[in-house]
Amino acid sequence: MSWSGFKKSMNRAGTTLLQKTGQIERTVDRDFADEEAKYKTFEKECQALMKDAKGYSDAMRAMTATQGRLADTIDVFYSAADKTSDSAMAAHAYKRSIDDLDTGIGRELDAPYRTTVMEPLGKMNAYFPIVNEHITKRNKKLLDYDSARSRMNKLIQKPSEDPTKLPKAQQEHDDAKEVFDMLNAQLINELPQLLSLRVPYFDPSFEAMIRMQCKFAEEGYEKLSGVQRYFADNVRDDYAAGQLDAQVEGVLQEMRELTICGAA
Amino acid sequence: MKGIQKAFARTPHMITTKVGMSKKSNDPEFDDYGRRFTAIEQATDKLLKDTKAYSEAVSNLFTHGQGYATHFATIFHPVTGEYDLIGKYPECEHTIKNVDGYEGALQELKAAIVPELELIESRILAPIKELQQIMKTIRKTITKREHKLIDYDRFNNSLTKLRDKKEKTLNDEKQLFKLEQDFEVASNEYEYINTALKNELPRFLMQATQFIDPLFHSFFYMQLNIFYMLLEKLSGFAEGKFDITVAAAEIASEFEQKRTDAQAQIEALAITQRYMGTSKMVQQNRAGGLSPGAPPGRASTTSSVSSASSRLPPPVRSPQPSTTSFKKAPPPPPSASAAAPPPYSPPAPGAVVSAPITKKAPPPPPPLKPKPKAAQYVVALYDFTAQADGDLDFRAGDRIEVVERTDSSEDWWTGKIGDRQGVFPGNYVQDS
Repeated sequence: MSWSGFKKSMNRAGTTLLQKTGQIERTVDRDFADEEAKYKTFEKECQALMKDAKGYSDAMRAMTATQGRLADTIDVFYSAADKTSDSAMAAHAYKRSIDDLDTGIGRELDAPYRTTVMEPLGKMNAYFPIVNEHITKRNKKLLDYDSARSRMNKLIQKPSEDPTKLPKAQQEHDDAKEVFDMLNAQLINELPQLLSLRVPYFDPSFEAMIRMQCKFAEEGYEKLSGVQRYFADNVRDDYAAGQLDAQVEGVLQEMRELTICGAA
Repeated sequence: MKGIQKAFARTPHMITTKVGMSKKSNDPEFDDYGRRFTAIEQATDKLLKDTKAYSEAVSNLFTHGQGYATHFATIFHPVTGEYDLIGKYPECEHTIKNVDGYEGALQELKAAIVPELELIESRILAPIKELQQIMKTIRKTITKREHKLIDYDRFNNSLTKLRDKKEKTLNDEKQLFKLEQDFEVASNEYEYINTALKNELPRFLMQATQFIDPLFHSFFYMQLNIFYMLLEKLSGFAEGKFDITVAAAEIASEFEQKRTDAQAQIEALAITQRYMGTSKMVQQNRAGGLSPGAPPGRASTTSSVSSASSRLPPPVRSPQPSTTSFKKAPPPPPSASAAAPPPYSPPAPGAVVSAPITKKAPPPPPPLKPKPKAAQYVVALYDFTAQADGDLDFRAGDRIEVVERTDSSEDWWTGKIGDRQGVFPGNYVQDS
């Protein structure tokens, strides 16, 4: 920090302290406070939205990727004993479908998701630090203005011996006020514009998102349901009736009865 | 204690076998089963891990989906003091009206997925964990067999050594007798356990397949059901409201078409530009001309905001002309107004003509600042891809030094970025 920057920050720290103890009057601008509060909410929402958007796409990829790994593993089970059964064929078909799905989703949805959802959000979120910098500046200039005004008022109430002091203080006050007013007006003017523009800005993402979500579900459903062909006819009903669970339990019980499994 | 004793007794033999001093017997048949068992063992661990990862991914998908919908809806709800969002942005009406329904749909989805995840937990994960337990005990049996094998080899080696000894002492004879007994025991134990394993491992491997069969089918239907739920709910929601039959490849291009100049407008705001220093701003302010996008005073707010509601046609790239004569001609004049960029769209000729007409007139270009300096800069409003040699490529937001310009923005201007020089359409840029 430069020397003048350091001096400024020391002076401002002093002003803040005096304001806290009630020595210097603090300017409150309701208009700005309102706009700032709305802006802050918007900023928070956008950041949360970005997090969820990222999480959503990660989850989509993770879903198909883990399914791919599951398919591999299931294949291992079959290859340990019989490779030619109908179920093993079904497992193969499952593996193929999942691979198709995984690459298909990657190829078809990754890029559009980035362009239509992630990039607009990322850009919007990149504006916030800049806007925040403007707000910080404005707050600093407000402190300068408050302190200049208090100095001037003191001189008016208790005129100094030195006749040049008051005009100088007045000049400083006017300058500080001009700078502050300018920054303040700019924020009050533009924050609502920024907020309002969010609607057309994010509007096209909505439809794109819904389309991609549907596409993901549709692809997943279509690719997977094709595998059913390889199942025996009764499998579906057995699943619905809970028969499959009973089979699993039954096999586990048989395993436990092996001598090598604790019986020995 | 006994275990430790045994371990000590076996250690010398294990070392001697490692260095090849003593013989180690092996049983290829068992080894084969052992390998397959190990494969299943690893597969089970993987299955467990991936099943967990899968249900986590599913849960994430639904949680984030719901979170996205909620935050999106919040963003599209009017903030305090905003009364007529739809009136202001009539083309966004569809979205504004549907965000709540979307939020509701995704919330229901998130609630609906909970029982499905529980099903995976209890019907898939739990049995896999059981299988893991069972395999652990079998693994113990296999380890035991290894130990018995070492004992067997150990006694066998000692016995052969002693038998081969030419002159046996009395002690040796005693030892021989003891060893013979030990060997007998070890051999029996090993045989027993080895046979048991050889008999039952194949059965277990078969059972593992029988186990995976119904488990795979159940899991498959659960996965299918999750996709089905997603599909049903989402398409049910989109039914009649959104056209979801669009091919994946067109989602992005339709998005581009729907995109407005909102981003350009946001970037034109002074508060989204880096803070440039107070004194410079004060000077500008005093000179009367604020930077574009920051009209002095609050009174102008309404007017400038309402100008936001009128739209530029989307920045559209002109169709790639194959003729070189295009170069000579100025960029195609946009039909609606001077500030509109050349049409973007692609080959479909009907769309190119009609698109800009249906849109409203663009907002007037922001007031230009007087330019005292000799070197003139313009800022690119849109991406421009070179269409022929000598064109200047740039991305939206690039600063371009103007080398030569004409009075009309409908013309090709010459400019420079760094050391690249070339021509570009004047209506793609804005004075900085």
